This record gives sequence, structure tokens and C-alpha cells, in this order.
Amino acid sequence: MMSLRWARLIAWKDLQVEFRSGGRLLAMIAFVVLACFLFALALDRSLVPARNVAASLAWLTILFAATTGAGRTFDTEEEDGAFRHLLLTPVSRHAIFLGKSAANLVLVWIVTILAFVALTSFLGVRDAGSIARHGAVLLPGTIGLAAVGTFFGLMSRHSSLGDTLLPVLTFPLLVPVIFFGATASGRVLTERPWAEISGSVRLLWAFAIGFVAVGSVLFRYLAEE
Amino acid sequence: MNTRSATTIGLVLVAAGVATMLLVHWMVVFWVPTEAEQGIVQRIFYIHVPAAWTTFLAFGVVALASAAYLWLEDERADAAAVAAAEGGLIFGAIMLISGPLWGRIAWGTYWTWEPRLTLTLLLWFTYLGYFLVRGSVANPRKGKRFAAVLAIVGSLNIPLIHVSVVWFRSLHPEPVVIKAEGPTLHPDMLTTLLTSLAGFTMLFFGLFLFRYTVEFLGRRPGRGGAARLAGEVST
Amino acid sequence: MTLSARGLVCDYGPTRALDRVDIDAAGGSILAVFGPNGAGKTTLLRALSGERRPDAGEVTLNGAVVSGSDPAWRARVGLVSHRTGLYRKLTVGENLAFFGALHGINRDRQMAVRVLDEVGGADLADVPVEKLSRGQRQRAALARSLLHDPDVLFLDEPFTGLDPGGASTLEAMLQARREAGTVVVLVTHDLERGLKLADRAVVLRRGRRVLDTESSGREAEDLLPFFTAGGTRVQ
Repeated sequence: MMSLRWARLIAWKDLQVEFRSGGRLLAMIAFVVLACFLFALALDRSLVPARNVAASLAWLTILFAATTGAGRTFDTEEEDGAFRHLLLTPVSRHAIFLGKSAANLVLVWIVTILAFVALTSFLGVRDAGSIARHGAVLLPGTIGLAAVGTFFGLMSRHSSLGDTLLPVLTFPLLVPVIFFGATASGRVLTERPWAEISGSVRLLWAFAIGFVAVGSVLFRYLAEE
Repeated sequence: MNTRSATTIGLVLVAAGVATMLLVHWMVVFWVPTEAEQGIVQRIFYIHVPAAWTTFLAFGVVALASAAYLWLEDERADAAAVAAAEGGLIFGAIMLISGPLWGRIAWGTYWTWEPRLTLTLLLWFTYLGYFLVRGSVANPRKGKRFAAVLAIVGSLNIPLIHVSVVWFRSLHPEPVVIKAEGPTLHPDMLTTLLTSLAGFTMLFFGLFLFRYTVEFLGRRPGRGGAARLAGEVST
Repeated sequence: MTLSARGLVCDYGPTRALDRVDIDAAGGSILAVFGPNGAGKTTLLRALSGERRPDAGEVTLNGAVVSGSDPAWRARVGLVSHRTGLYRKLTVGENLAFFGALHGINRDRQMAVRVLDEVGGADLADVPVEKLSRGQRQRAALARSLLHDPDVLFLDEPFTGLDPGGASTLEAMLQARREAGTVVVLVTHDLERGLKLADRAVVLRRGRRVLDTESSGREAEDLLPFFTAGGTRVQ
């Protein structure tokens, strides 16, 4: 319980810092809108029905935006050396991971909603399926994305390769998320029965819970000297 | 095991491995019968399958040694993990090159979303990341830890990648599905395959011991005089 | 209360940053650690605070081994470095409230003002850290380090970039801490100031302790020979 309290404090602090500076969020939003715009331009809708590809494009946009954002997760911690002091408080390491992942999750949600709205409207997709079902797919998917991004964001932060390294580390791991997420979202969009979707959602939850658990255990090996 | 005996055993294994590989090549080219259905191209199989076996063996060693390193912070565990990861990367490359060469003839395409193929490609990239992380983190201890964490996370992800690729296949059935190997293998084919497996495994462990010894010797404290003069390492 | 280290060894890869260092820092006194760049001063401080697990040796407080992985130990440690360790976008009060809450102390704004008052910055509580001058930031950082009333206080080059006013506040604070019985370990390359403040002086060179002495009556010139060459003298 103490861990959850700490995690909440850290997440809240992160969001306060994020919304006050706004730089990272603004860049992520601009990226998503522009990427969706370019997808809509690049797609020849006389060849490919937009409804069939909208979900895949949305997931890729979210993946790229989340990765770009995750690379900056620890910037505010490091700019004046605050992370060292954070680690020297009695806070448990997994609380730091959970708190920072939660803050990232909020940012990922913002770009996710934006990506779906932008793509469906740019591509002219009407009747985009039940919002509740979209939410049921996106919730576990974005948890997985945010947790993986936060975890490896700290790794790439210490690497001289920086943001170039982050996709190399995260994309192979995120294959299940993108695959099940895009499949399930595509089926929600084309209004297929829930029975065709629920299997993917279960596996998305398996990934999300699995990675949050593994990440919580292993995070101290990344954070400590 | 001290470094001297490790080197000796490594030398013996590499010599035996190389000799066996020469024998395997002779067997593949002159001795083993041609498979009726696939023809001459099937002979790649005797290189491809042992390479795949060695790759997974290597990555198994990396994951175990990495977990041991995080647990005990013993330099030997990390040296073993690096040595095995290098082997895995090389044998993985052999597998990833030989697979499509065979697939082009047998399946009619270089690449297919065959589960094992996809899984190995992603694993191979994970281990590429393993070396990128190690090499690009200034603090050596952090670099080793990061790499170990990546190796563990990567191996835990294998089941999920496997499930996703199997599902993906069921969604998009391949136009040409040919079974990779017949239900029963000709005895001579089996002999060739087993010989090759033995050769690859010995070669891998021999090279592994060499690399391990070199890694381990290079890390003994007190060998970093120049680094010390260059200034304190701090983060 | 005594913080002791016995046989501390820290390696950075093949570089030995600390080589069997023994340290004793008594409560109610200030221990200053000097040494040329790369001597291992910062590494020593990180090993003492538990931020870095030593490769050999141990750190004890009153005979009980302390470790950075123990939250109870971290709750007793305060740290001041030349970096503020504060979040720029938050106000000083918010920063103090955040760190206070992590220490399990419910610090409202008034408490923050009172802690700030101790370091001569009562009017800073509502100002975002990014709007502060260098000296004001350092005061805020000092307040954060004292928030939880640490038993052991580590200072890593605290005078770097500090204006004269800030430096005298810091000196006054250190005196107050000494009188309160806190263990104070100060790492600095400012010999004059360090010797004036400290009760005991330690000189590190190339990871080894080459001098450990009472600091009263010592001048900077007495210590300088130990920076470059000469023998070991332990009193």
C-alpha cells in the first residue's frame, strides 16, 4: 500500500512538471496529428479501404509517439540530478517504476485518443465501432506500451546512443502488443463480434500485467548504481 | 575452472568442432542421399538446423548467466553471458541467412511468417540490442546490468511472441505450405544431421570458452592503470 | 554515533576506484575528504551513503552494517551536492513537500517555510526553482537535505558555484549540524575551507587513503604533498 502511495506521489509530481513545461506533450501531440495527416495523404483510398487499415496506422502512430515520449521520461529527473536524491529517499524502486509508468500512461492516453480521432476523421471513417470496446482494447495495450517505454527509457537515458537505441530495445518486445492491439482494434472498427476480439484483449492484459510485474522486480537493477 | 584448463578444453573443442564441420561438409556434398521432394536445396538443412539449435542454446546460456549476474554480481557470470551472446549472434546470423536461401526454393519466397523464423529474427535483434546497450553505457557496471536485464526480459517475452506469430499465421495462411522435413528421415540424413549438430555444439562451446577466458582475464582489477590516470569514472 | 568503513573496494570495470579504504566519522564532528581529481572522493561518498554497493568491505553505523537497499538507512541519510537535485518546474515549496512526503513526513507549506527559514530562504517557498538564482537554489537544496533531520549528512562539493552569502549559510548550517550530533562527511577540493570547517581530514590518492589526521593546526600546504607523492601517514 505504501508503494502505491509513493507511486501516486511520483506520478502526480511528474504530471505537474509535464503540464507546466508542456514541451514533451506538445511535441507528442504535434507528432501524432502530423503523422496521421501524412498517413491519410499517403494512402490511396481507391486501392485500400480506409476502414481496414485505420487501426493498424493508429497503433503504429501511438507506438512511435509513445517511444519518442518515453525517451524523455527521465530528463526532468536528471537535469538537476534529482534522481539521485529520489533514490536516496526510502521510496521502493518498484514504486518509482510504477509512478513514472503511470505518468507516461496519461500522456500515451492523450496521444491515443488523438490518433484515433485524427485518423478516423482524416480517412473519413464513419461508425468507428463501440467506444467502450475500443477502450477495452486500448487500456491494456497502452499500459504495456507505457510500462515498456518507461523501463527502457531509463536504459537509453544512460546510453550514448540515446533515443536511437530505444526503438531497437522496445520494438522486438512490443511485437505482441502491436499485433494483438492492431488486430483487435481493427475488428472493433469493422464491428465484428466480441468473441473475435476477446482473445486478443486477454493476451494484451497478459502482456501488460506480465511486464509491469517483471519491470517492477527488475527496475532496481536499472536505477541503482 | 581456472583459465588454463578452460583454454585447453576450448582448444580441444574448437579443433574437434572444426574437424567435424569438415566431415559434415563432405557428408552433405558427397555422401547423404538427395531428398526426393525438395531436391538438392534440402542439403542446407544440415547447416541451418544445427545453427538454429546452437543459437537457442547460446541464448539460453545468456539468459541464465544474466540472471546469475544480477543475483550474485559475479564478473564470471557476466563474462559467460557476453561470450555466449556473441556466439548466439554469429550462429543466429548463419541461421537467418541459410533459412531464406532454402525458403526461396522450397517455399517460393525468401521470407515467410513462419513462427520460428519470426521469433528468431526478433530474438536476434534483442541480442543486437544487448551489445548496443553494453557498448554505449559509460559506467561499465551499469552497462552489464542493463544488458543482463534486457536478456532476461527478452527471453521472458519468447512465449508471447510465439503465440502472436502462431496467431498471425492462422490469420494469413501461406499460399505454399510445404512441410519442412518429411515425417521420417532417411537414416543417412539423420546421421548427417546429428554429426552436424555435434560439430556445431562443440564449435560453439569451444569458442565460448575462448571468449570467456579472454573476457575474464581482461577484467581483473588493477589492469586499468591507463584508465585510472585518465580520471575518475563517475556518473 | 560513528559511521565506519572497513576495507572498502570499488571497481569501475578494470579500474580500481577505491582500494581498501578505512574511514571513521564520529557524530558531532565533520570529516573532510580531500584528494586530487580522480582520487576516488565521490566514489567513497557514494559507497558510504549506500548509493553504490562496494565490491568488498563494509560500511557500519554504530557497528551495524548499513546498505543502500535498506529503506530505513536511506531515511537517515541526507545529501547535498553541487547539483540542486530539485525539479525546476515546481516551486521550492512543492519540491520540499514532494521529498517530505517520500520521507513520510507531512510537510505542509508552513513547515516548508520553517525549514527554509533555517537556511535563510523563508521567502522562496512559492517561487519556481527555475526562477531562482544559483545561490537561492543551493539554499533550497540545503533545505531539502535537512527536511527529514538526517543522522548522517553527506556533502559532495557543496561549495561549487555558491555565492559568498550561500557559502556562509552552508558553513553555519554545518556548525549547527555538528552541535546537533550529526555525522557530517564533506567531500571537497577546497582545502582552505575544508580544513577550517572539519575536525578531521582524510586525503585520498589513486583510491587509497594516504592521510588521516586531526585537522586543527593543519594548513593547506601541509596536505598538498600527499596529493602528488609521498608516503602514508595514519594517525
